Amino acid sequence: MSDQREAYQPPNSGSGRSYAGPSAASGTMHYLCAECGVKVGINKGEPIRCKECGHRILYKQRTKRMVQFEAR
Amino acid sequence: MVSSTPSISFDTLKRENLFRNPPKDKSAFPALLAAVQPHIDSFNAVTVEGGLLDLARQDIGVKSVFNGKNQNENLGDKLSLRVDKIYIGKPRISDRDKTSLRREIYPAECRERHITYRGRLTVKIGLRINNGSWISQDREIGNIPVMVRSNRCNLENLSPYDLVEHKEESEELGGYFVVNGIEKIIRLLIVARRNYPMAILRSSFAGRGKSYTQFGVQIRSVRPDQTSQTNVLHYLSDGNVTFRFSWRKQEFLVPVMMVLKALVETNDREIFDRLLAVKDRENSFLTDRVELLLRTYKGYQLYTKKETLQHLGERFRIVMGVALDMTDMEVGREFLRKVVLVHLEDPKDKFRLMLFMIRKLYALVEGSCTQDNPDAIQHQEILLGGFLYGMIIKERVEEYLDQIIKEVRREVMRGMLIDFNNKEHRTKIFGKVNENLGSSLEYFMSTGNLSSPSGLDLQQVSGFTVVAEKINFYRFISHFRMVHRGSFFAQLKTTTVRKLLPESWGFLCPVHTPDGSPCGLLNHLTHKCRITTAISDTSSIRKTLVSLGVTSPATASLPSSATTCIQLDGCIIGWCSLKLARVVSDTLRYWKVEGTHGVPLDLEIGYVPESKGGQFPGVYLFSQQARMIRPVKYLPLDKEDQIGPFEQPYMSVAVTPSEISPGESTHVEFDPTNILSILANMTPFSDFNQSPRNMYQCQMSKQTMGTPGTALRYRSDNKMYRLQTGQTPVVRSPLYSEYGLDNFPNGTNAIVAVISYTGYDMDDAMILNKSAHERGFSHGTIYKTEKLGWADEKRRGGTDSKNLFGFVNTEDIEAQIDDIHEMDDSTDEAKIFKQRAYEKLGIKEEWLKTVDIDGLPKIGQLVRDGDAVAVYHEVPKESDAGSTRPRNKVFIYKGSEEAYIEEVRLLGTEGGDNKPMQQITIKYRVPRSPNIGDKFSSRHGQKGVCSQKWPAIDMPFTESGMQPDIIINPHAFPSRMTIGMFVESLAGKAGALHGIAQDSTPFRFDEENTAADYFGHQLKVAGYNYHGNEPMYSGITGEELHADIYIGVVYYQRLRHMVNDKYQVRTTGKISDLTHQPIKARDSVTLRYFAIL
Ligand SMILES: [Zn+2]
Repeated sequence: MSDQREAYQPPNSGSGRSYAGPSAASGTMHYLCAECGVKVGINKGEPIRCKECGHRILYKQRTKRMVQFEAR
Repeated sequence: MVSSTPSISFDTLKRENLFRNPPKDKSAFPALLAAVQPHIDSFNAVTVEGGLLDLARQDIGVKSVFNGKNQNENLGDKLSLRVDKIYIGKPRISDRDKTSLRREIYPAECRERHITYRGRLTVKIGLRINNGSWISQDREIGNIPVMVRSNRCNLENLSPYDLVEHKEESEELGGYFVVNGIEKIIRLLIVARRNYPMAILRSSFAGRGKSYTQFGVQIRSVRPDQTSQTNVLHYLSDGNVTFRFSWRKQEFLVPVMMVLKALVETNDREIFDRLLAVKDRENSFLTDRVELLLRTYKGYQLYTKKETLQHLGERFRIVMGVALDMTDMEVGREFLRKVVLVHLEDPKDKFRLMLFMIRKLYALVEGSCTQDNPDAIQHQEILLGGFLYGMIIKERVEEYLDQIIKEVRREVMRGMLIDFNNKEHRTKIFGKVNENLGSSLEYFMSTGNLSSPSGLDLQQVSGFTVVAEKINFYRFISHFRMVHRGSFFAQLKTTTVRKLLPESWGFLCPVHTPDGSPCGLLNHLTHKCRITTAISDTSSIRKTLVSLGVTSPATASLPSSATTCIQLDGCIIGWCSLKLARVVSDTLRYWKVEGTHGVPLDLEIGYVPESKGGQFPGVYLFSQQARMIRPVKYLPLDKEDQIGPFEQPYMSVAVTPSEISPGESTHVEFDPTNILSILANMTPFSDFNQSPRNMYQCQMSKQTMGTPGTALRYRSDNKMYRLQTGQTPVVRSPLYSEYGLDNFPNGTNAIVAVISYTGYDMDDAMILNKSAHERGFSHGTIYKTEKLGWADEKRRGGTDSKNLFGFVNTEDIEAQIDDIHEMDDSTDEAKIFKQRAYEKLGIKEEWLKTVDIDGLPKIGQLVRDGDAVAVYHEVPKESDAGSTRPRNKVFIYKGSEEAYIEEVRLLGTEGGDNKPMQQITIKYRVPRSPNIGDKFSSRHGQKGVCSQKWPAIDMPFTESGMQPDIIINPHAFPSRMTIGMFVESLAGKAGALHGIAQDSTPFRFDEENTAADYFGHQLKVAGYNYHGNEPMYSGITGEELHADIYIGVVYYQRLRHMVNDKYQVRTTGKISDLTHQPIKARDSVTLRYFAIL
């Protein structure tokens, strides 16, 4: 479990970029398989399938970037 | 003090261990599993190898069709069809899917993907051409919904540990179906007791025709496969008797003599002798009528069995829809098999029972016996969901055969030549028949509507299924214990069917029924009540009876001295004198509890003694399915006996050991609380409360914001409530632990002061301590799940996906977005320039605050009304490539409240179709801290609305410095008389002071040994006031209050009705002239309507 969890990345200095973008190189987003828990990279337009076990449900990952909460 | 084993202590360590290490063998809470057992067992009984489906297919029999064009002379070749096997498979992924490693589908996936948990239905059809040999052919006829945790479910027999592994609760009960992701259960329905002829007085009987009277004897006769056929005997004013039945929703009348003569070879003398015992023959009322019965039948001029059968066969040939080559006599026999007293096989048995029914009818008319009350539980049984499901499958399969036959006939009529030996011809016929039986069962489960040609001998066509709502666990478990009288009775204006009758004692809970329209129609089983799902072994009963001196009808005809008849499941198995009947029933009871002489423990021995104008006497044994049964202690052996509602009115069951009267009582209750349902048992000290308050509590505990379960992560219900800070109650009964309700806390222990303090506590308002609120008291959450996508459209016929999630120009956005974000927007001009840049990309700036580059919302993101939660675009058509790029569009969040994105699920499809993502679900989390206007309630039907969150510094305090979490007004008590709440407050306070859980089982205290003394003493030992009062000081002035204040610990529930869902304030618009209140749109329409009038 612990090896999968990556350290918190602080937002790029000065940048207002507030979305959890893909790692710039690959262009794919990674999701978690609901069955085996493995990270699955899905490109746009690809069918929803776990590459390992073929399961049909994927969960979106919680972003590692900061989500800004507005003070209320 | 307590007879059952579970302790009343908190068992914190044990509980913690169970949470951390779910058992790998079996559930720690067998009582919970037993509560849903009738549902699962009834389903299993249907689908098990050699189960009810097998009996059903035997009952369907052989159907045949001919291929000859001329239906009169040359019939042509005969094709016979029968069902060799009906098989339901476990839910599996379709064979088309090549990528999935694990082929089983589990219920959790169906809930998440909003699909149906179903298994493949296969029938093996047997075919025979003319007199050749049978050949079998498998036909797959669709997928049907399968009950969770049944023997067709992949979760069958899994341990709590394995259940958790499969994303279920550790205490997953099953017993329901998952249809389109929604959990549905088949309601338990009350139906007439099977195989018992009931004497009925019904005014509608008189309206059936000329000379019909209100008198009738009705029997709901049940086949071994659990399908039923009701037969009624009507008394005509001239003394004649007619036999009535309904077949495919049509009613038919036959003179009863015709049925009798068709059943066995008999003569008038024999009928007369068998109908009337020696002492009856002096009764001119009876002799006159029997004579008339025999005399009028002479008009038909049918003397022998053969003639009668032929006559019947000729009349019912079309109605029964039999094969063309059957003789009239065979059709007559088929009629007797399928319609007349179908629970019996042997015509001789049918004949005897029919005579008994005629005799009972005459007794009813004469007034020597009274009517049987069809509304009393004595004459009722439960139609179990699994059995109903099996009945529907049977009917559908039979219909399937009929369709094949119809198809052949249609082709033949059209002049087509059909050669049965030609395999191609056969497959062509099969191909034309609708082979999707699964969809009709799915329709039944999802709508609860029964579309059946026969009506299945039921009084309603809709309302068979309900959603097993998981508002909290109490509501969920109640669904499985719920019995409904039938929607037919809901329309009746009379209240007779709703009455609580003494017969229901111990079987239906007197407390747990809703108020309002379903009151008394929707009842709940007591927690000890069980429903039988299998036939008990009665193979040696007949022999045993003979050894007791009972005359068996198999060996001798009716002896003149014997007048009482002994029936086993509606089959006359003996005659004896009235005196002997009592001995027989007493002896059987002793042996049954003892477990000797082959008398099963769950046999029901209904001994009805002779009375002046009471129930028709006799000994009625019941051993079949669908009976309610409950344990009581049998005194002669000091052992457990199982008793049913038929026998109970004639037994003497003491409620408590002190109530036993020697020589009269035969049984004693194990516990007086056995008459209560699971929920009613959770009301502490309910015997101290005014009874309606306990009813209200049963209702309110089901509407509480509690804990629906622990596997919430894997559920996507439309709306789910969750109490964040649930606690185990200090005051609870041992049953609380027995049912494992600590897994599903439903409220919070609160310090409650009964005082009129702030002035904001009128009319059931209550004050919440603001600091308690800030510490998280009753903090709740609502989870809402929304489905987004186009999967439904595709199913409706569209071939390819027209839309895709995500941005149409992801690459461009990725490349430019950072730069655009950083663009200067200090001046108006720069702002416009920046906006243009976004527009050029086809997006809006605010979208990217809530949506990721994949077009899906960010987990944990706060969203408000109108925020974008998903981006999609149309797929550019290949034909117009190179033209304009499709626009990016968004799904938005609609809701007045702020919500957080909790989970986002990407849903794929089965099969190797390689379709891109067409559906996602978003789960929103709406935090709901207690608010002014929210509803709270104690466990005593004392609900109130929070009117103020009062600052802690202004709250009154005791000498020890305690402040109440909740203040309620003393005026809530005098009129409602919920003394149980006072006792709970006292017990809770003492329990909290000593660190112990308190037993709150009702009926444990009495006048000599009062609850107030018991708990008062505990308080005294802890150094507190004996009566639970304490001096208190005003939080505002610091002065001591003039009266001592009653303060203690009460378990409080937060109800799900919250102002945030309800407030609809408006300041403009129409108001009523009379009341100055706003008029709803609909009301204003009606007002206008009235003005016209
Ligand atoms: Zn996987």
